Formats: sequence, structure tokens, C-alpha cells
Amino acid sequence: MIMRINPMRAKPIIALVGNPNVGKTTLFNALTGARQTVGNWPGVTVEHKSGMCRFHDRQIEVIDLPGVYSLSSGSPDEQVARSYILNEKPDLIINIVDASNLERNLYLTVQLMELGAPLLMVLSMNDIAEANGLSIDIEHLASHLGFTALPLVMNKQMDLSVLTAAIEHSLTHPTNPQCIYYDEIVEKHLDNILRTTVEAGMYPLASRTESPTKVALAEEAYSALLQNRWMAVKLIEGDKEYSSKLNAEQKETVDKEILAISKHRGQEPGAVIADDRYGFIRGLVKDVVKRHRVGQWTFSDAVDKVVLSGFIGLPIFFGVMYLVFLVAVKASEPLISLISSSLTWLFVDKLGALLTLLSLPKWLNYLLSDALGGGVATIGAFIPPIFFIYVSLSILEDSGYMARAAFIADKFMRKIGLPGKAFIPLLVGFGCTVPAIMATRTLESPRDRVFASILTPFISCGAKLPVYTFLGILFFPKHADLVIFGLYMFGIVMGMLTGLMLKKTLFKSEPGNFVMELPPYHMPTLNAIMLHTWHRLKDFVLRAGKTILLVIMIINVLQVVSLPVGKDHQRVPLLKLGGKALTPLLAPMGIESSNWQASVALISGLFAKEAIVGTMQSLYQKGEAAENDKSNTPVYARNIKTSFGSSASAIAFLVFVLLYSPCAAALTMLFKEHGLKWMLFDFAYLTALAWMVSTLIYQTLAFNSGSIYWILSCVGFFALIFVNLRNIGRKHVEQS
Amino acid sequence: MLNNRNRGRLSRFGRRFMQRRESCPCASGDCLSLTDLPSGEKAIITCNKHLLIIERGLYQGMTLTMHRNDSDEPNVIVAVGDARYVLDRRIAREIRVKIV
Repeated sequence: MIMRINPMRAKPIIALVGNPNVGKTTLFNALTGARQTVGNWPGVTVEHKSGMCRFHDRQIEVIDLPGVYSLSSGSPDEQVARSYILNEKPDLIINIVDASNLERNLYLTVQLMELGAPLLMVLSMNDIAEANGLSIDIEHLASHLGFTALPLVMNKQMDLSVLTAAIEHSLTHPTNPQCIYYDEIVEKHLDNILRTTVEAGMYPLASRTESPTKVALAEEAYSALLQNRWMAVKLIEGDKEYSSKLNAEQKETVDKEILAISKHRGQEPGAVIADDRYGFIRGLVKDVVKRHRVGQWTFSDAVDKVVLSGFIGLPIFFGVMYLVFLVAVKASEPLISLISSSLTWLFVDKLGALLTLLSLPKWLNYLLSDALGGGVATIGAFIPPIFFIYVSLSILEDSGYMARAAFIADKFMRKIGLPGKAFIPLLVGFGCTVPAIMATRTLESPRDRVFASILTPFISCGAKLPVYTFLGILFFPKHADLVIFGLYMFGIVMGMLTGLMLKKTLFKSEPGNFVMELPPYHMPTLNAIMLHTWHRLKDFVLRAGKTILLVIMIINVLQVVSLPVGKDHQRVPLLKLGGKALTPLLAPMGIESSNWQASVALISGLFAKEAIVGTMQSLYQKGEAAENDKSNTPVYARNIKTSFGSSASAIAFLVFVLLYSPCAAALTMLFKEHGLKWMLFDFAYLTALAWMVSTLIYQTLAFNSGSIYWILSCVGFFALIFVNLRNIGRKHVEQS
Repeated sequence: MLNNRNRGRLSRFGRRFMQRRESCPCASGDCLSLTDLPSGEKAIITCNKHLLIIERGLYQGMTLTMHRNDSDEPNVIVAVGDARYVLDRRIAREIRVKIV
């Protein structure tokens, strides 16, 4: 755990460490030329990311760590940062500090200093600090801390030359940060604990340097002393990782010392250490920061007065969300047909003609032009709505509104048994369910993490939007935007109802505490929005592209491979057989047996939701309606309308798409984060719920004599699920 | 049934009996829970036992301003230095403050 530069290491490692939302990822992107997602809300980075940069022919590895307030291990993202710093021994830690909130940010700096880590401080958000009437004497601050400190404005054109020079210097001439001293009595007991940690051999004082020189030995001994002192402080703070390394006798000795500290100060031991650290910080801040303006009422406070208002906060939230979908649908409408027709002309018509000219076999021509070319045209048609929804969400994220949305939603989140902070992963779910499940790592309690992950699929991801847009425009051309917004809202309502049910059954305990920082509002820059949007859009196109093309290929192969069926041994394609076998299950929700293509589309949606549209366009190319209708409407569109028959079955189908099992990637992520049990539960519950709700909707909209039977069956089935979950929950409570 | 006053006396007697020191250096009546601090009021933190919250800057002796405290909401918004925090009411209830 030594924190000194290793001269033998060919590729030095620099770790970017700081509080959440201070600009670590922005600096990481600037240093490495990477294009990682950044945002103005805590929890954007939940795992460490690595990139390379080159200074004067020297390769350096840069690590972007999740934001942490301290080095006490809390939520999983904080554990990622802490374990990296403690175990991977970076050669230099760049501590990014928010200049507009210096006092709070220095708490982590003090802990890094105690660790004896080679440090370099970068002060970000100096513009906001200036606007708030703060001026910081940076040289004075650096002299107190014992290492270099630099100002850097992150969201403007960054001048990295000074920073790179400082990095070079810090790597070759690591400095010794100042030591923090606690009060006399605490220091006395700390010394006693330190002796115990040395006895326990938690960090040996013996030399570990390969070619010992006098200087190296002295450095090594000093570093080892700092490490032991750090461990002793962590033992006082009640760190479980370190206390588990002590035997019973040592533990008893340490506990006695800790009790003495607690008695002396009349405080919890952890609070004693934190208070003393803040004592040092407070003195330092008083010395180096000058406040020109006494009042602390900022622009963000004034905006929050309106945006978080009890009366209009919620209408503003819903208005903003509706605007996002309105923009996505209305602005993309003309572009969809333009892109789709251009790509069809290029990749289907012209490519097909070229392949015919080259006299390629008919099956290969069909596979390349109709199947693959058609797939490319399908993906192209998805791009405009996804682009506009990502642009809108990026504006909301970069401006700082997302964190406010979590506060507004907290009231409702509590009702379904989750803390307000869980709203952020759910919001991420509007983009994609996979990062949304990953974002649940920002929640401290394991119960909240599992609970929030189960609810994320209820939020319609970007991949579902093309399905909504495609069928919405086809069946409800005049009210497509309302249908799409309605589906998004219905998903949220169903998520809340599921939350209520799970709160009363499986997750009976109280949700974790909600503590969140509200970042100041920023004016989003065009560059950041476009970068953010490009990053997500590229991910979508690559992931969706691969899956859609694969699914289309499989479907085409299954369409060609046939089996002899019936008395006359007529050959029927495998795909049609499979679809027809599944269709009776979907009959109660209005999918007729002749409409087997719909069930195949739903199966393809298990690979990726975007694949549903591609599959439908491919499977509905042939049909009765195709020959008779001479209008400009594409053949597949007319066939879909004929096969579904009514708007009721189309709505039921859309609701099924909204609610049924998440895609394979999301299921894999659930398995990785929470295990097989929860993955299977999510798959089974969501699919069963989708079937029940779609059936209820169809049977209500197309009410007939048999509808009552189906409605009662659905209610009975749901009651059965509820009773079972309640029993499982009860057993779980009894066991625990 | 005990009234609040006697319940307080009994609790203090219990603490004395167990030889535990009063952790909040605040005379009776001087301090109030953070949830009782009205919006717009400034106060000094006199007692906070949550390490997670202390680490975010709400340590003993720090001045904070209550930005929003609606009793029907599950949390409060406080300004601590230049940071704004949404705090769970359950945590805020355990933080004792003194109005300045």
C-alpha cells in the first residue's frame, strides 16, 4: 500500500479523485482524448475507467474514479474508488476540488494527505466561486497543504500545458503532504493504537525497496509510518476491513483506547475524528479564502425557489417531460421518412440492382439487399427520435435539473418504498436499462439497490421508442405524440403500482436514508450536449445495429428452413411454426392465430427491443393486403394494420412491449448485480404482468361475452401472485 | 403514563446511572431538532452523530440555513456553506441545532 512513485514502473498511473460532480470525467476526457459521459449530477461514474495519455514520449495511464466524499466505504461506487486508491497504489493522485465549495471538498483531501499519497490538487469551478464572491489564495493553500495546487476552468477551452507540466514535476519529485494532528488526548490514544497495528503486522515497517539507498529507506520508513497511522485512524472510525485483521486480544486493546477517546470527547469516535479534520480545514479555509459578498443567496437558490416549489414543482416536472417527448416525436417526424426512404433507395433498391447486375445467386442477393440493407434502413429510421430524446435529456442533465427531479419525486418514491435518490437510476432508464441498473450502485442500502433494479424496466428505454413511434404513427397518425407520452406515463404508473405491491410483500423494511447534494445550475454548452448525445447515440447504433442485423439474419434463415407438416406434407417455414405455436397464448390480448408474426417480433424483442420493428417490417412484407392496395403506404404497414385488425389489439400489443421482460443485456446486468434469483424473478414477473395487463386492456376495449372470463382470470392470477409474494416476504422476515 | 417532562427526567437519570456523558452540549430548551427549524432561519449544529452527514460538512459548530422545511414532505433542504443538501427528515430529526 506504499504511496510513493515506483521508479521501476514503465507506465505511471494517475488516479483522478474527488467529490461527486466536480469535473473528474471532464478532466479525464481532456487528458486522454476519451469521450466518456459527463453530467451535472452525482453518480455519473459508477465504476473506474482507464485511458492513456502521452507526455513527452512517456505513456501515462489515467484512471477516472467514481466521486466520493470520504474514504469510508459506503455505497459500492464509493468502495470502487476507495479500494482502487488503497490497493492499486497510483503513482500520483490528482485531487479535483470544487473551488466554490472548498471546505467540504477538503475533507477528502485531508484523508488523502493522511494516507501519505503523492498528491496534486486541481481547483475546478473557479468561475462559480468568483460569481459567488469567493477568492482563493491558491499559493497560500498549496504551502499549507504541502503539494502543488492549480486552478482550472473545466467547461471552457482547457489549457492543459500548466497541468501537464505539474503532473510531470509531481511524478518525478513527489512531495510530502502535511500531517494532520488531532487533539492531545486523541493523539495519545492514537499512538497506543498505532503500536497495536505495528504489532499486528498490518503494515510492516521493514524495507520493501528493491535497491535500498539511504534516501529510499528513509522514504520507505516515513511512508510505512503514515500507513500505520492511517490504519489506526480508520480503526478509531470503526472501519470493518481493518478491524477484521486484528486478533481478539489486539481488538480488545484497541476497543479500550477507542472507548477512552469517546469518553474524553463525549462523542462517537468516528465523529471525533471527523470533527478534528474539519477543525483543521476550517482554520485553513479562514486563512486562504476571502468572501467578498456576505449574502449566500445564489442564482441556483432563486431558480430552486420556483422549480422546487410545492405548488408548481410537479407541474413543471411533468411539463418538461412532456416537452421532451413532443420534441422527440414532432422534430423527428419529417426526418424519419427522409432517412428511411434514402437508405432504402441506397441499400435495398440500388444495392439489389447492383447485385443482380453482378449475377449473384438470388438467395445471396435477397440476404444482402432485402435483409441486411432493409435492416440498415430500419436502424436509420430510429436515429432521429433517439437523437432528439437524448439531446433533451442531456440538456436536463447538464443544467442540473435531474437532481431536482429526484427531490420532487422523493415524495412519491417514499410511497413505493424507495428513497428519492433511486429516482436517478430510474431517469437513466429513459436512455437504457443497462446503465440504469448499474446506476443503482449509488444507493447505500442493498435492499434499495435490488428494489430499484427491479423497477427500472418499467421506464421505457430509448430502444422502446422506435416501437412506440412506428406503431403509434401507423395506428394513431393524428395523436401519435399523445400515445407515446401515454405509454411512457403508463410505464411509470405500473412501476409505482408494482413498487407498492413489493413494499407490502417482499421489501417490507424501511427505505434507506435520502441524502443528496443539489448541484448549482449550469448553462449547458453545445459541445457537452453534442458529446453526450453522440456518446449515447453511437452506443445505441452499434449495439442495436449488431443485434438487429443478427436477429434479421436468424429470422431470414428460419424463414427459409422448413419442415413437412400435415397429411399432405406441405413444407412450412420453421419461423411460422414457432410463431403459430406461441400465438394461442397471446390470443386473449387480441393477437389472432393468423398474426403469428407479432409473436415472433416479441421473441426478437428479447434480444433487443429495437429489433421488434425490424422483425415486423421484414415479416409483414408478404400478405393479402399487399396485392390489392395501390396507395403510397408501405406494404408491411398495410399488412400490419390488416393483421392486427383493430386499434384495441395494437394498444394491447404496445402495452405488452412496454411491460414484458427486459432485453438480454439488461437481464445479464441484473444477474451480474443481484444474482440469478432476482433476474429470474424480474423476467417471470414482468412477462406475467405484461400478459395480464394487455389482456385486461384488450378485453375491456373490445368487450364481448367472453371478456368477463378473461378479466376475472387476470384478477385471480394477480391475486395468486400477490399472496405468494406476501408469503415469501413473511418467511424472509421470520428468517431474518 | 408519563408526560414529556418526566420522560425527559427519567431519560437523563438513566444516562447518569449508566455513567454516559450527555453527548449534546446544549442546555435544555436551547436546542431544537433540525426538522423544527423554520425555513429561512440560520442555526448552529450542536449535535450530529451521523458520520455520513458529518463528512458532508454538517459537523458540530457549523452554521446552516434552512432553505425549505415543509412538514408534509419527507425531507428538508439545507444550505451548508456553499453546498445545498436534501436531507432525509429521519436524519434531520436526530440533528440538534441552536438558532442564531
